[in-house]
Order: sequence, then structure tokens, then C-alpha cells
Amino acid sequence: MTNTDVEDLGKLPRTQLPKSPTGIDGFDEITDGGLPTGRPTLVCGPAGAGKTLFALHFLVNGVNRYSEPGVLLTFEQDGADVVADASSLGFDLDGLERDGRLLVDALTLEPQVVDTGDFDLEALMVRLAFSVRNVSAKRVAIDNVEALFATFSQPSLSRSELRRLFRWLKNQGLTTVITGERGDNLLTRHGIEEYLSDCVVVLDDRVVQDVATRRLRVLKYRGSTHGRNEYPFLIGHDGLEVLPITSLSLNQEVSHERLSTGINGLDEMLGGFGVFRGSAVLVSGTSGTGKTTIAATFADAACRRGEKVLFFSFEESSSEIYRNMASVGMDIGGWVQQGLLRFHCERPTTRGLEDHLATMQALIHEFAPTLVVIDPVSSLARGATPFDVSAMLMRQVYYLKSAGITAVMTGLDEEAGVEQAIVKISSLVDTSLEVVMLTAFGERNRGLYVLKSRGMAHSNQVREFVLSDIGVDVVPVVIGAEGVLTGSARIAAQSAERAAAEGLSLESEKLATALEHRRESVDAHVATLRADFAAEERLTRRLIEASEQRQQAVQRDRLAQGLRRTVIPPENQP
Amino acid sequence: MSTPPQPRTSEGAPATQRLQLTLFISGASPRSVQAVRRLRDLCDRHAASGYDLEIVDIYQQPEDVVARGVLAVPTLIKELPLPVQVLIGDFTNGPRILAALGLSPVQTTDV
Repeated sequence: MTNTDVEDLGKLPRTQLPKSPTGIDGFDEITDGGLPTGRPTLVCGPAGAGKTLFALHFLVNGVNRYSEPGVLLTFEQDGADVVADASSLGFDLDGLERDGRLLVDALTLEPQVVDTGDFDLEALMVRLAFSVRNVSAKRVAIDNVEALFATFSQPSLSRSELRRLFRWLKNQGLTTVITGERGDNLLTRHGIEEYLSDCVVVLDDRVVQDVATRRLRVLKYRGSTHGRNEYPFLIGHDGLEVLPITSLSLNQEVSHERLSTGINGLDEMLGGFGVFRGSAVLVSGTSGTGKTTIAATFADAACRRGEKVLFFSFEESSSEIYRNMASVGMDIGGWVQQGLLRFHCERPTTRGLEDHLATMQALIHEFAPTLVVIDPVSSLARGATPFDVSAMLMRQVYYLKSAGITAVMTGLDEEAGVEQAIVKISSLVDTSLEVVMLTAFGERNRGLYVLKSRGMAHSNQVREFVLSDIGVDVVPVVIGAEGVLTGSARIAAQSAERAAAEGLSLESEKLATALEHRRESVDAHVATLRADFAAEERLTRRLIEASEQRQQAVQRDRLAQGLRRTVIPPENQP
Repeated sequence: MSTPPQPRTSEGAPATQRLQLTLFISGASPRSVQAVRRLRDLCDRHAASGYDLEIVDIYQQPEDVVARGVLAVPTLIKELPLPVQVLIGDFTNGPRILAALGLSPVQTTDV
């Protein structure tokens, strides 16, 4: 609400115009409190835009919530019809009338009235005054005032009398809603907006790409700031609801409680405990990656804790989900039978985006789950503009967060346009899980990683997401020399490792034995060599001895020969 | 339901049902006073079978205003003879009033 921001900047003390809340969700926010107290407000729009409903809300909420009795003056239908129509929308006009807190004055205008001259509408004011006095009304709704023009042949007279009526209402200090049908170039067919200048609300019902969206705009609000945008609004089970995306406040309570995702390996990746209660979880991935299964495990885990889960399925029927989840060991149908799980399956194209939102909120309100699954959010986007989708998802996420309900949404990655919408909401979600397909060694396997998870330590690994008939798990992948191994490659690598570990002791024993054998054989060999050597040594030494003896004998012989050759003995020479 | 002719009835008019009228006016406003005078004048002259006129002041009897679904003043409701007919205005259009009341104009000097 930009206007409020501007107002906040103003430093001058100012008296706030007194306002009367309508009790319509969202409307009081954009008008900063409701309609101007004691003044008339014009609510105009084409037929079927929700004008009467707006008026009824204003009156009935006035009685029930703000202790302000009211008078409904209607020119449109007779009293019984008004009461019956209102009761179909959950308004008990009859009961309120019996309590004397509301008065329905239904005027059937007869077109065959004969006009005999000048007149005034003093009687209308008298009867209104009478009704107002009767229930001490503070609020009045006049639906649809332009019917007067059809009854009385003098438009100028009707106009001046209406002006007098509005002045009278203002003088009486009655907070009034006056409805008027939209004209060709004017807001109302007979230009009565000229006299209703305090507050003008325009309702519209537009069809864009075959989807009807109701919109509301506060055209003017004298003496007050107001949201000036066009706001989508809904007519749902609980009546009218305005959805001002821009005024969503960020003040929801947060929980520190952690919820298991239902997958042990995934809990481990999320700091060991899973996600925060009341947070928004987005599971995105391409087709066939098991997003629905992950969403179902969240639901299954919640049901195991005895909590209620509401599952919105926009692509599969509940029985398809029972069957598919049974194939991975989850008994989804059983939880439904126990009343813990409820499915709402609908084709996204059956209704407009805003309608879906209204239905979802009505169901959430009624069933009061602690966990809501929306599978997939992306399919809601078909036929809508990305802005609409992200705006709607944003509102949905905020709605769930403010109610403390954990939201698990799945999103298909490959749809064009939707991706943008998901990108936009990915900033809103607390935990974002991404399922990817890993292709290697002739296989496709699912890898899962935590894109982000606010407020908790989380794993940065890509883990393998395994679906089997005994359940779902997320297991660490094997990183080998070939890279990240998944599927049968991972299993092969793991079993090889296991086998290796098992075989190691056996191997070493074998080796030890072999070594022992070798040692024995070496020892034996050494002994043989030593024996051979000893024998050789002995022989060699004998040969050396023999040779030395022979040498000494030769020397002795040579000396003996020399003595014989000498005539004179060396000592006896002259 | 036939009633004997009233003294004020002009002679020669067909003896039809007596008129039963309710007129809603707003107090003593000039328009109301004038409307009552004009209506009495018209009826006196043209209602051959006589008439009963009940005058309701919307300020005094608002519950009747609600009960009868009256919006404008002056409003004249012709209760009888049936069908019920609603006339709005201050009776300046004489011929239209007579037609709506089912009366034939009686030839008098100042119609």
C-alpha cells in the first residue's frame, strides 16, 4: 500500500477519518479500515459483479462482528428471495431479523404505477427512518438504487430526490452502501456517482483467456488514503474476499519445530531433522523425477504423526496416487480411510485461478490440516499469465504460512512461463529441493539435492533418490575415479568395495602362509648352499695345502743341487 | 358489494362499486394539501357510486408506509374496486386519474 507509506512520511499530526470495517477480508486493509463512517459509499459495477454481496457482507458483518445493526433496503427482489439468496451464501438474514438486529425492507416497484403529476420520495425517507429507528441501525444498504429510475418517469425528479436521500443519510450519520449498475460512459447508468462523492468502489468481472477474474478498485475515497490498485477478489464459500497481494504483511509467527520429511536420507540432508513446521517446501524437477512421491512421503510422515493432511492434486486422481504410492510401499489410501488425509483432485483448467485459490482456502479452512500438498503448482499456471500465477502462489504461500500450515508444493521445471513463476515463488519458499536426472553408464537415475533451506545447516551433496517397493530413500552417491556413480554403477562400486573389505583378511592370511612357505623354502635353499659351500671349502683347502707342500719340496731340491755343484765350500776359501 | 349511492353522487352516473381509496401524504406540505383538495374535488364530481378516502400521513403512520410499500408522496392506492391501482403525483393530470380510477368523466361546467 504505497499510499500508506506516503502517509507515514507525513509528520503532521492528523485526525484519521472514522471508518467502519466491512469485515470483508482484504478490503479493510486496502481502505485502511473500511468505509467512511456516517457517509454513503457507492459500489458500482456490471450485473453479476458482486455488488449485492458486498452490501450484504457490509451489513451482516456489521451486525455480527461490530455490533452495528443494519437495514437493507432492496429494490431488486422481494423479501423472501433476498433472504433465500443470502442464506445460500451463508447469511442468516432471517435469524438476524428475528433478533431485531437487521431489517430487510424489500420494495417491489410496480412499473404500472400511474403518474398523475409532481411527487417526491419523502415516503422512502420516512420508511427508511422508520426502519432505522426500529433496529437502531448504524448501517444501511440500498440495493440497487437505480431501479427507482425505471419506476418513475421523471429522471430529473428521481435524481434530485436521490440527492436528498443521500444528504439525509449523511445527516443521520448512517454508514451506507449504495449499489448502482454500471452505465455506458458513466460509473452508474444514471450518473448518481455525481452525488456520492465520499467513497466509490468499482467492481468488475473480466474474462482474460477464458478465465474470469473479479476485480475491485477503490476509485475514490475522500479524506483517506487507500490502495489504488485493482485487486482481484473472490466469491467463495465464505463469501466475498479481496486479495490484496501488495498488502500482505510479513508478521507471521514462526515455529522452531522440525518435521520429518518421511525420508531418512533427506532428513539427514536437512541438518538431520527435516523441515520447519509451517514452512514452505518446493520440490522441483523435470517430469518423472518423483516429485509427487516426495510430496507423498511428507504427507505419509505427517499422517504417521497423527496430523491431518490436505492433498491438492491437479494432475492425478486420488486412486492413481494410492496405486502409485503403494508401489513404493506407502499406504496412502489407508490414511484417507482413517480420515487423516483428504484429497482434492481437480483439473486445473476447470476453473479460474482465483477460483482455485478460493476453493483451496475454503477446504483448508474447513479441514484444518497441518500440512498441505499442492501437486503440482505449475499446472495451475496453464492459461494464466505468469504474473497471475506468481501472485496467486504468493498469496497461497502467505496464507498457509500465516496459518502455520506446512506447505509442500511440487513444480515441473520444463514448462515455459511456469518456470518464471516458480522462480518467483522460490524466493518465498523456505526449503527448495531439486530432483535431477543423472545419466551415466547407460542409465538414468534420480539425484536429489537441497537448493536451499533457510535457517538450518543442510547438505551440499547430490544424493541419489531411490524408489523401491520397500520404500523411498535418499542415499549418498559414490564418488569414484569415474565421477559420481549412481544406480547400478553405484551398487557395483559399493559391492566391489564391500567385497574387497571382506576379502582383505582372507588375502592377508593367504599371503602370510605363502610367505611362510617361501621363507621355509628359502631357508632350505640356504642350508643346501651352505652345505655345498662347506664341502667345496674343505676340498679347496686340501688342494691349497697340497700345492704348498709341493712348492717347499721343489725349493729344498734346488738347494741340494746347488751345493753339489760348488767346489770350494764357501767358508774354506783362501 | 353494492352500497347505496351517497348524497354527493351526481345523478345519471352508472351505479358501480363504491371507491375505496387510501392517500399517503407528507404532513401539511403545500403539495400534500393541494393533492388532498384536488382528489376530493375529482371524486366529488366523478365518483358516481361514492367513495371512502383514508388519508395517511407518512410521518404519523410510518408502519403503514412500510406495509404498503409506499415510496413517493402523494401516493394514492385504489383498493376497491379491484384491481388495486397505484397512482403517484399531485393529481394535476385529471383525465389520467379518472381513467386509472375507472371513472368516466361527468360533464360539468368546470372540468
